[in-house]
Amino acid sequence: MMYSDRTPSHRTQTSLHPVFSLPALRRGGAFWIGFGLLGVLCSSAVMAAPSPIQSDFDDDTVLVTLPASAPANDGVPSSPEATAREIQRLISEARRSGDPRFLGYAERLFNQQASQDLNDPLLVLRATLAQSLHRFDAARQDLKTVLDRSDAPAQRAQALLTLANIEMVQGQYDRAGPLCEQLTTEYPGLIASSCHAQVAARTGSAKVAYDELATATRSLSNVSIQGFLWAQGTLGDIAAQLGQNSAAGHWQRVLSQDPDDLYTRAQLADWYLQNENPRQALVLTEGYEAVDSLAVIRAIALHRVNHPDAPALASRLRERFDEALWRGSMLHQRDLSRFELDIEQRPGAALQHAMANWASQREPLDTRLALRAALAAQDKAALGRLQEWLKQQNQTDARYPEAS
Amino acid sequence: MSAKKLLAVLIMAAFASTAFAHKASDSFLYVDMDASGIRFDIALRDLALLVPLDANGDQRITGQELRAQRTLATQTVENAITLTSEQGACKLRGQAWGLSSHSDGPYLATQYRIDCPNGELPEQIEYTLLFDQDSLHRGLVEITAGETRSLTVLSPDKPVVDLTGGAMGAWSTFGTFLYEGIVHLLIGLDHMLFLLVLVLPATLINRRQSNQDSTRSLKSRLLQLAGIVTAFTVAHSITLALSALNIVRLPIAWVETVIALSIAVAALNVVWPFLGRKTWKLAFAFGLIHGFGFASVLGDLTGGVSNLALALAGFNLGVEVGQLGLLIIGFPLLYAMAHVRAYQRFIVPLILMGVGIVSLMWVAERAGAI
Repeated sequence: MMYSDRTPSHRTQTSLHPVFSLPALRRGGAFWIGFGLLGVLCSSAVMAAPSPIQSDFDDDTVLVTLPASAPANDGVPSSPEATAREIQRLISEARRSGDPRFLGYAERLFNQQASQDLNDPLLVLRATLAQSLHRFDAARQDLKTVLDRSDAPAQRAQALLTLANIEMVQGQYDRAGPLCEQLTTEYPGLIASSCHAQVAARTGSAKVAYDELATATRSLSNVSIQGFLWAQGTLGDIAAQLGQNSAAGHWQRVLSQDPDDLYTRAQLADWYLQNENPRQALVLTEGYEAVDSLAVIRAIALHRVNHPDAPALASRLRERFDEALWRGSMLHQRDLSRFELDIEQRPGAALQHAMANWASQREPLDTRLALRAALAAQDKAALGRLQEWLKQQNQTDARYPEAS
Repeated sequence: MSAKKLLAVLIMAAFASTAFAHKASDSFLYVDMDASGIRFDIALRDLALLVPLDANGDQRITGQELRAQRTLATQTVENAITLTSEQGACKLRGQAWGLSSHSDGPYLATQYRIDCPNGELPEQIEYTLLFDQDSLHRGLVEITAGETRSLTVLSPDKPVVDLTGGAMGAWSTFGTFLYEGIVHLLIGLDHMLFLLVLVLPATLINRRQSNQDSTRSLKSRLLQLAGIVTAFTVAHSITLALSALNIVRLPIAWVETVIALSIAVAALNVVWPFLGRKTWKLAFAFGLIHGFGFASVLGDLTGGVSNLALALAGFNLGVEVGQLGLLIIGFPLLYAMAHVRAYQRFIVPLILMGVGIVSLMWVAERAGAI
């Protein structure tokens, strides 16, 4: 597989859930996004005055430390292979650090190429980038092109897995299922088994899915580290869905191998938060304040333990979200919604963002947030929509008892 | 160490200790249309992609390294920002240069005065910085003109922004305020109740009248109605204009209280015409005070609107349209009901009582705010 062996973590290559995000303007979501933006434009306190210009700064002070992995500034890479390597490096860096600037650097490299010149590895990469930017339909299109025309097992497996993940993230389990099936045929192993388990768990068979995947993890010998970690991440998610304490252990195993797996870190920190263990959540999020998802969890945990730093972090987050709203497109609605709900205690605003997010992403934590916001805002219509969808999927989750 | 220098060090220490957010690259452009100025903030990290700031290649940028590249940095920024007025390109005159900070760390900030040909105001801004390095880079623009602040975004797809866009075009001003006028009449329950009370007498049927009189009676009713509505309209247009143009200003709490009181008085006058039976006079007198009430709403809406007269006309017309719409629906209904015996005996007294109670409650509530 093109980059399954070289990337440090399976989450990096498959990334069920990008750490940073753009609201994808999908049908249904547009209303909520528009509604949310309207609210923002109407509120007069969108932006505070900029900080004053400080002309008198010291010569010896280090003003900023540049990231070591800044983009190569020497023009266009010489070959498609070199371009693919550079783009892959940038996307990996974005995921490892949670820094979306790297996605912009990567996209710039695509913009320098004619679309019809892109080979299969580049198309898969472009889909991965699009997925990171929540342009799910664009990602689907590139992946389908690759699956239609490519015979290369590595490209096909990567495309299948990415496509299955997109369908899973968007709650299209009936589309994800056959893709997992195809993945099992073309690339059998723990990643394919995890794919199946995830679909089964979210459509009513969580217990069976957990047991089968746990058995597979134990019985398969000669497992790649990616496959093992991928399965552990999936087991953690299903265990949390079942309300089992083993969830933390699975996620810790992933983190001990790959501390920069921001998605798993956020899952685990969230788990601690939900299970009344904010101090553990603080330990996990320490030093990760730059990443919105982890910073919001940290702000809630600080608030819960009445930490003196709580207001300062909340105020920094406020500035970040204000800037992101001004920007308009580059915003993690899930994090903003959670911030509105748990820190600002504005259930109405929280619900707008939660529903806009839920229009394009329906992972358990997205659904839980939308349910909580709908309850807090006493919006029966939104609550009904969520419950109806969960019923259709036959999805139950110990993380949201509110569903029934 | 001088106090000033100490302050600078402390600020830098604050920069250094904060965990900065990861976010997509944004620069900030604050355009001040009143002072014809612009402030531009760019992240040092982004600037480093364009200007070789890190002279010694240690990945760290010091104050000295930034100062050493001041000329190149300034040129780079100025080349990427183009301001134009009707007469042509405007020049940027530097006024201040230094550091600022946003949620993701330190920024280089530059303050400019914008000099356009013939001292005109700039009309549009074009921005192209960094789009070739980072396709997700955006220029976040804040335009301040008078009391309005509008926010917009410059992107590779939309590198030009109209700076006068904050000031609405004539038609859109008129349309917006027409709409606001209608909405205000329809959601302003007090104006509606007042209108209802004024219209009620015109619906009452004098039972002693003979049948052949009834056609003439409808005609005279409509005339009476037109008189009332016109008087109310003329009156509130006068005071609305006086107030909107800042010629007369009354304290809003008093105005609101008197408006509430006017409804109660008008209701009482239907039963016991102590102010006379010429309802149009009443409509005119109280219309004056209602105009001040409309003006307070209009005042909240017109901040920064350049064409106040047009806004005023639109708003006033909107109020009339709303009023007329209500009458077209409401008057026939009331008139139809007037033929039911119970109308005069029960319904009208009940309406008057209800309106009276509600308006007196408002009086009490609003008087509290004085």
